[in-house]
Amino acid sequence: MTVLFRRSELHSLAAPYALDALDPREYQRFEKHLKRCDSCAAEVRLLREDAVRLAWNTAAPPPVAMRDRVLMAVRTTPQEAAPGQTAQGPQPHPRAAQQPLPGMRAVRPRPSRLHGLLSPLAATTAAAALVVAALFGVQASRTQDELDQQRTQAREIANILAAPDAAASAGRVSGGQSINVVASASERAAVVTPAGLGNPTNGRVHQLWLMRPEVQPRSLGLFEGDTPLLATDLNPDATSLAVTVEPQGGSPQPTSAPVVQLALKSVGFGE
Amino acid sequence: MQADELLVLVAKGDQKAFEDLYGLVSGPVFGLVRRVVRDPAQSEEVAQEVLLELWRSAARYDPGRGSALSWVLTLAHRRAVDRVRSARAAGEREMREAQRANGPAFDQVAEEVEAGLEREWVRRCLDRLTTLQRQSVTLAYYDGYTYREVAERLSLPLGTVKTRMRDGLTRLRECLGGAV
Ligand SMILES: [Zn+2]
Repeated sequence: MTVLFRRSELHSLAAPYALDALDPREYQRFEKHLKRCDSCAAEVRLLREDAVRLAWNTAAPPPVAMRDRVLMAVRTTPQEAAPGQTAQGPQPHPRAAQQPLPGMRAVRPRPSRLHGLLSPLAATTAAAALVVAALFGVQASRTQDELDQQRTQAREIANILAAPDAAASAGRVSGGQSINVVASASERAAVVTPAGLGNPTNGRVHQLWLMRPEVQPRSLGLFEGDTPLLATDLNPDATSLAVTVEPQGGSPQPTSAPVVQLALKSVGFGE
Repeated sequence: MQADELLVLVAKGDQKAFEDLYGLVSGPVFGLVRRVVRDPAQSEEVAQEVLLELWRSAARYDPGRGSALSWVLTLAHRRAVDRVRSARAAGEREMREAQRANGPAFDQVAEEVEAGLEREWVRRCLDRLTTLQRQSVTLAYYDGYTYREVAERLSLPLGTVKTRMRDGLTRLRECLGGAV
């Protein structure tokens, strides 16, 4: 089989590559070759543009409901940092490392794990499935316990997103730090997704608090990177969510001013 | 605003820009995915994943490498092909099992290469290709077959298929080139 991969043979794979017509093994070989072969790289750029012309006549209006699902999912989905920029923002995406966008080079095929995780949820809502995809993409799960925990969390997130009164809001401060929330007052729960918070220095952590009138703030948990937090048993009179920087392991009560605060009135709380 | 500019804003977390981008690319993305995947429910699923991936990975878009729409459609095509291949692999397993149970094998090489090409000008340019160029290109791009599978279906040597693919794409460029 190695005979097929002589260098001269590899040159001839540019057109099938541009058409996504290589099997995974050849795809990997050719991607390696592309790094060394300028003429193939130039040819692929041209042929790729040619292939895309074949998509000119296939456009079709997507189902109307798809828009809401995607936009809702976007509110709870962390973004990747730009290549080479890791100090702030979400962790590099393990799936992205394996399945690059066009023009990026890495390895296919897509891990099948994701599909297995999505299918049991597909019946709930597509938006939930998308959120789960984002969640599981961000976290490199290792143990079965973690997986089970994530599945449970994913189901609860699905329930919140599927609630008829689910509403979204975003709190933004200077410097691009923000939290996005999708909340359901009827479920008394919310999915809170940090965006651009990064990790504080010196082992400190970002802690999420529920603020209520005339009551001490209640901890809703610690953020890990930009992974969403699921907040449950929210009090109907809650007025806002706040994020503070706390020592490792978190604090019983906030010890510093919030870096981000988000009012909950627009998502149905505070009455 | 153009898709290129919107992607830059989306990379900075701008949700409004993403809504605008959705308006521009969701039709092309969904249509292309459906053309390859065929099954409506699966197409919707794949299209959603692609659109969400745009949000997540917008920072990876490099304007120096080509237009935003090309980037988006290249991504959509790749995801659609991944899906149709895994569905096909599962289907072929089932079919082999069914064949073992039901006796004689049946040949299901049904050509529908030309089906569903709505727009006249791409069709006209495709018509200018030789039959083998056209079949090689469309079986790969619209139906998600690898060049090895295309060679098998057309009973051609691998080298011939690779050449027909390249010549077909090049001729398409000559025919459609000015029409951006
Ligand atoms: Zn080469």
